[in-house]
Amino acid sequence: MWARLKIPERLPFRSLGSKLIFSFLLVVLAGGLASSIIGTYMVGNTIMAEAQKKVRHDLDSAWMVYQEKLRRIQDVLHLTAKRDLIMRAVTGGQVEVLRQELERVRIDYGLDFLTLTDKKGVVLTRTRTPYQGGDFQGNDEMVRRALKKEIVAATEIVPQEELAKEGPELVRQVYMEFVPTPKAKERPETRETSGMMLKAAVPILDINNNILGVLYGGNLLNRNYEIVDKIKDIVFKGERYKGKDTGTATIFQWDLRISTNVKDKSGLRAIGTRIARDVYDQVLENGRAWIDRAFVVNEWYIAAYEPIRNIKGEIIGILYVGTLEEPYTDLRNKVIYSFFGIAFLGLVLVLFLAYFITRSITRPIGELVEATKVIAGGDFSHEVSIQSKDEVGHLAFSFNRMTRTLKDTMEELYILNNKLQDLNRHYLEMVGFITHELNQPMGVLKGFLILLRDESLGPLVNLNQKKAISTMLRNVNALINMIQKYLQLGRIESGKMEVNKVRIPIFAEALSSILEDEKPQLDARKMQMIVENEEAFRKVEGEADPVLLRIVFSNLIGNAIKYAQEGGKIWCGFKEEPEELLFYVKNEGRGIPADKLTKVFEKFTRLEGELEQRRGGTGLGLFNTKEVVERHGGRIWAESEEGKWANFLFTLPKGGKGE
Amino acid sequence: MEGRRKVLVIDDEPDLVEMIRMALESQFEVVTAYNGKEGLEKARSDKPDAIVLDIMMPVKDGFTTCQELKGDSETSSIPVLILTGVEEHFGRSKYTKASGMEIEAEDFISKPVDPNELVRRVNALLKRD
Repeated sequence: MWARLKIPERLPFRSLGSKLIFSFLLVVLAGGLASSIIGTYMVGNTIMAEAQKKVRHDLDSAWMVYQEKLRRIQDVLHLTAKRDLIMRAVTGGQVEVLRQELERVRIDYGLDFLTLTDKKGVVLTRTRTPYQGGDFQGNDEMVRRALKKEIVAATEIVPQEELAKEGPELVRQVYMEFVPTPKAKERPETRETSGMMLKAAVPILDINNNILGVLYGGNLLNRNYEIVDKIKDIVFKGERYKGKDTGTATIFQWDLRISTNVKDKSGLRAIGTRIARDVYDQVLENGRAWIDRAFVVNEWYIAAYEPIRNIKGEIIGILYVGTLEEPYTDLRNKVIYSFFGIAFLGLVLVLFLAYFITRSITRPIGELVEATKVIAGGDFSHEVSIQSKDEVGHLAFSFNRMTRTLKDTMEELYILNNKLQDLNRHYLEMVGFITHELNQPMGVLKGFLILLRDESLGPLVNLNQKKAISTMLRNVNALINMIQKYLQLGRIESGKMEVNKVRIPIFAEALSSILEDEKPQLDARKMQMIVENEEAFRKVEGEADPVLLRIVFSNLIGNAIKYAQEGGKIWCGFKEEPEELLFYVKNEGRGIPADKLTKVFEKFTRLEGELEQRRGGTGLGLFNTKEVVERHGGRIWAESEEGKWANFLFTLPKGGKGE
Repeated sequence: MEGRRKVLVIDDEPDLVEMIRMALESQFEVVTAYNGKEGLEKARSDKPDAIVLDIMMPVKDGFTTCQELKGDSETSSIPVLILTGVEEHFGRSKYTKASGMEIEAEDFISKPVDPNELVRRVNALLKRD
């Protein structure tokens, strides 16, 4: 408990400035981090959502390109079917004319094949070598519908044997072996032999609207990059980002890339690779669009997939557009970096500001701290010069006022103290003067009284004379005793007491004469003085001023006699301790109350006692004794059992300690 | 016994001198002086066997007187008993017995003076011869 109250010389120090700066930093870090995280999260989400919206839109545009191509084929066929030349040639059965004319149309309009059937669906002529004919195409859904005078156009799968009829080169064009693709769905097949084509079929009608035949034809999509490149050019305007195409488009035949401008690692179009399993499931199995980021071949794309359906509405492939994710992630990263950059700049700025703010706060406080140190050192004239109008300024103002008050108080105290010292000096001088002046006549009185008592000046003639003289002598002795105490006090208080320590035999120098002097008093009160440990006591030597030590023993023994009970015992003893010599004077008697044990050593303290005992008491003996012992570097204290005994003990240091 | 021994008492306080004189008279011939100067003269002229000397005196104090007595071959052999007050011990305790006696006096006796003790001490001094 006590240890905790102890004030250390230096307090553990952590500067106010560093605390403030740290707090600022914490606030800014927390705020900056939170806003940066939330901000980048929101901005990132917005950017990605925008990207997906744009891809969705791009897919719609891609479909427009795709459908336009289909319509163009349909239009070519439709316009061709309506030409008089064709109608007449069909009506006239001029197969050679038709072949020549239709082959010219096929080549002019860039169709892969163009085939004419009669009104039964039997092929009249084809337009590619070897110009095969005579087979029945009426089972084909589109031809069947055209025979019913419908104009139809759609994406269709064409099996290998049909392609072989249309033209053997087409079989080669569509043949494609699967390129192993890590995330693709397992399939038993290893290659594709059928083709996917944009196909139209239109009826040829006479003027009476009777069916004459059907014209059908179209373009294969396998290894045909016209549509995907057009999508790239129109939708993405052919933009490139860091050497990469920002937009890509792909046509899948089922899950196989048959037409694409996505490049593989060697920079070639990545045909032959297959779609990832999750897209497969979503688009091909469930027929739903799929829009998300996707890892396409070797880059991340924000991708949109939608199923391609044939005339019957069956899913046969996928149209895909994708926009490179990198520009968006770069944009997002740029925003994130900007956020963190701004936060960092803010941090630096705040640190900078915090430093100056803190300095402006702590500098005056530091000045105050310095001022308190100066004042603690006793210089009350020091004032702090802080002009600010805030709390610190108030503090400085109050501080200065406090210092001034302190200074005034100290000055008053100083003056008062001087006055008191003057008074005390006067008092001491007076006491000294009076006692000194009294001392001499008392000495003369005492001497004459002794001569009278001992009848050295002639015989005393009666008992009353003797009684009167010894009473006078007793009273003179008491007075002399009092005077000597005051003389001692005067010396002590005026600081004139010099302690001249020399090595002396304690008993012989300081005690034996006292024991001798006090013998009459002891006898008068029928007391017994017992010197304990006498042999060692007589031998012991110590460092002390013999005259002063005599005062100590004289006062202690005098007190013991005065306060002990009549007929009681007094013990005087000595004990050698490791560091010091211990002396004591113990007496039987009423003792000292516990609460008075320290008070007895104070100036002018007298114990309550019988009138007889109080007589001749100045209340100075123990005070003087204590001063003398302490000036020797020793301690003095009292012990007592009330009603039984009192013991006064004091020590003298063994070595040359003390004064 | 060749007549009574002679003791010179030097003190500025006539009453005290008178008291000491009465105390010593029964055994000694007493010569008195009331200051150091007079004391020195009497010491030379009367040739006492012992001197009782007070410290605190006007004109010439006990210290100087004692030093001069001891410095003069005529008087240096006369034993001196110094009278001291307690208060003098405080200020000038150097001349206590234990300190090796700064003044070369033969003995000291504290005031107030017990006449019986004084007589004993003077007798003791004279027995030394």
